[in-house]
Amino acid sequence: MELPVKQFQTRAEQAYLDLFNAAEQALPGAGNPWVADLRAKAIDAYAALGLPHRRVEAWKYTDLRSRLVEALPLSRATGRPLAPAELERALGGEIAALPAYRLVMLDGELRADLSDISELKAAGIELVSLTEALQKPPSWLKQSLGKINRQDRDPIVALNLALMSGGVGMRAAKGLTLDKPIHLIHLDAGADPVSVFTRNLVLLEEGASLTLLESYGSLGERDVQRNAVTEVQVGDKASLNHFKVQREAEEAFHLGTWLVKLGTDTRYHAFQFSTGAVLSRNQVYAAFAGEGSAFELSGALLMRRHQHCDTTLVIEHLVPRCSSRELFKAVLDNEARGVFQGKIIVSPGAQKTDGKQMVQALLLAEGAEFDSKPELEIFADDVVCGHGSTSGQIDEDLLFYLEARGIPEAEARALLIQAFVGEALEAIEHAELRDALSRASAEWLGVSYD
Amino acid sequence: MLEIKNLHVNVGGREILKGLDLELPKGQVHAIMGPNGSGKSTLAYVLAGKDDYEITAGTVTWNGQDLLALDPSERAAAGVFLAFQYPMEIPGVATITFLRTATNAVRKARGEPELSTPDFLRVLKEKAAELKIDMDMLKRPLNVGFSGGEKKRNEILQMALLDPSLCVLDETDSGLDIDAVRIVAEGVNALRSPERSMLVITHYQRLLDYIVPDRVHVLSDGRVARSGGPELALELERSGYAEFDEAAA
Repeated sequence: MELPVKQFQTRAEQAYLDLFNAAEQALPGAGNPWVADLRAKAIDAYAALGLPHRRVEAWKYTDLRSRLVEALPLSRATGRPLAPAELERALGGEIAALPAYRLVMLDGELRADLSDISELKAAGIELVSLTEALQKPPSWLKQSLGKINRQDRDPIVALNLALMSGGVGMRAAKGLTLDKPIHLIHLDAGADPVSVFTRNLVLLEEGASLTLLESYGSLGERDVQRNAVTEVQVGDKASLNHFKVQREAEEAFHLGTWLVKLGTDTRYHAFQFSTGAVLSRNQVYAAFAGEGSAFELSGALLMRRHQHCDTTLVIEHLVPRCSSRELFKAVLDNEARGVFQGKIIVSPGAQKTDGKQMVQALLLAEGAEFDSKPELEIFADDVVCGHGSTSGQIDEDLLFYLEARGIPEAEARALLIQAFVGEALEAIEHAELRDALSRASAEWLGVSYD
Repeated sequence: MLEIKNLHVNVGGREILKGLDLELPKGQVHAIMGPNGSGKSTLAYVLAGKDDYEITAGTVTWNGQDLLALDPSERAAAGVFLAFQYPMEIPGVATITFLRTATNAVRKARGEPELSTPDFLRVLKEKAAELKIDMDMLKRPLNVGFSGGEKKRNEILQMALLDPSLCVLDETDSGLDIDAVRIVAEGVNALRSPERSMLVITHYQRLLDYIVPDRVHVLSDGRVARSGGPELALELERSGYAEFDEAAA
C-alpha cells in the first residue's frame, strides 16, 4: 500500500496544481458547469495520484516525477504565421505533403487559416475546435469527451482533462467514408517554453471508415512539455486507420495517450512512429466493447543520444471473439533507452480471444538500453495469447554478406537497420505513408536515396 | 593473377590453414577439392575478408595488390566475388533493392557511373532471364523463402551484375539437385572469360563435370597436398579422400 502522494509532493507536482488553480478561470469553457465539473474531478484524480514515479508499476522504467522538474507555463494562442518550408522541416517533406484534409494546431490552437475546415465539413465530417466545444458543446461531444474508457486511474490523462485547452472534436456519420486521410498536425510554435495540453475526440458511427494521421513536430528548439490525448470511439462495423508520427525537437517532453473503444465487428489498424523528443511516452488504452473486432497496432521508434521513449499498451478484451496484434521495433543508439510495456487483459467470458504481441529491439551501442515488460492477464480459458520480445545487435554475418557485395560498412549497417524497421512498416497499408516513413527512417540513419 | 604464399590462418585460436601456397593465373578456372575440415571454406572467407579469421603469416595478392589490407567492400570493388555456400536471408530488404545498391556501390568505387533505375532494370532483366530467374522472385525479400536452387542462382546473378575478375565459388553445388546444378553451372560457364579467374571450391567431382577446371588442387590439413589437371578430380571420385585424411592424421 502506498502512502498518499500528497504528503511528499515535488515542486513540479505542486506546480501543476498551482497552474490549474491560477488558470482555471481563463481556460476554455470556464463558467460552463459541465466543463467545470470535468476539470474539477480530473484535477482531484491527479492530486490523489501525483506524478507517476518508478515505484508505480506502470511507470517503472519512466520516472516522470524525477524527470519533470518544473511545470512550464500553459501555452497561449500566438497567431504566428507558418511558412510551408517550416512545416516541411518540422514534419519531413513527404509527411507534410501527404494528400489529406489538414487540421493544423499551433501550440494547441486550431488555426482555421491553415486548415481545411470547410472542405472537411463539406465532405461530411462534423467538426468543432475544442475551445468552441467547451463553450458550446454539441451533444455528441458532451456525451463522450473524457468518457472513453476509464480516465481517472492515469494521472497524465487526468491532468490533460483538467488543463485541456486545444484540440478538435469530430464525428463521422453512419457509413461515411472520405477520399483522403485527415491529418491532425500538432506543432509547438517554438517561442517561449510552454506546456501544451491538447485533447482530440474522434467518433465513428456505424459503418464509417476513416484514415487519421496525427503528426507532432516543433517549429523551433525550446523546452516544451506536451500532453496530448486522443479519444477514439469506433462504432459497430466501422473502420479506422490511425497513425501517429512524433518527431518533436530533442528538448521536448511528449506524453501522448490514445484511448480507444471498439464496438462490434470493427477494424482498427494503427501505427506509431517516433524519432523525436528527449522523453516520450506513447500510451494506448484500448478496450473491446463489442464482439468480432480486430485491433492491430504496430510501431517503430528510432532513438539516439539521451532520448528515452516508452511505449505502454493496455489492451482489454472485455467480450468474446476479438483479436489484437502488436508488433513494435526499436532502434537504439548511443545512450538511448527504449521501454515497452504491453498488457493484454482477457476478462472472464472473453472466450475465443486471439492476442499476440511481438517487440524487437536493435541496440547499436553499448550504452543503449531496452526494457521490455509483456504482461498477460487471462481470466478466460478458451483463448490464444502470446508474446515475444527480443533484443540484440546487428548480425555480423549479414553485415559481411552485404560488404562482400561491395556495400561499404556504414551503408550496409544502415541497410540492415532499414530492413529491421521495414518489417514493422510493412503493416502500414497506406502506401504513401509507408514510403514516407521508410524515407524518414533512412533520413534518421543519414542515408539518402536517389 | 592470384598469388597465395605460405598462408597461415587461425580461427578461434585453432590453426586451420597451415602454409597454403596457390597460384591462379588470369583467365583460368581452378578447382579446390578436399575432405571436410581441410580448410576449403576458410580459404574462401579469408579471400573475401571475413572478420574473426586471424592471419598469422603469409601473403595474398591479386594482380599485385595486397588483398589482405582491404576491407571486404574494397575487395569487392577490386574484383573479388565470393559466391556463398549459405547465402544470407535478409527480411525487409527487397532483392532488387539489394542488387541495385550493390551494383552501384561497386560501380561507384570503380569510378564508373552509377546506373539509373531504368538502366539497371534493363540489365537485371537480361541477366535474370539467362539464369531463368523470375523477376517476381526478385521483388521478394533477399533470399527469404527461396529454395536452395533459387538462392544459388541468385548468387550467380549477383556475380553477373558485379562483373568481378576473381570469382570464388564456395560449395555452390551443395544442396542442389542435378537440374539446379546444371543451371548454376551454365550460368558460371557463361561468365568464363580470359579476363576472369575462378576458384571453384567443391567437395564432390559432380560440379566439375559441368564446370571443367584448368587445374585441380587437393587441400588437406590446411595445405595444398596435390595439384593436377581435371583428371585428378575423376581419380578422387574413384578413390575418395582416404589417402589425404590419413596424411592429415
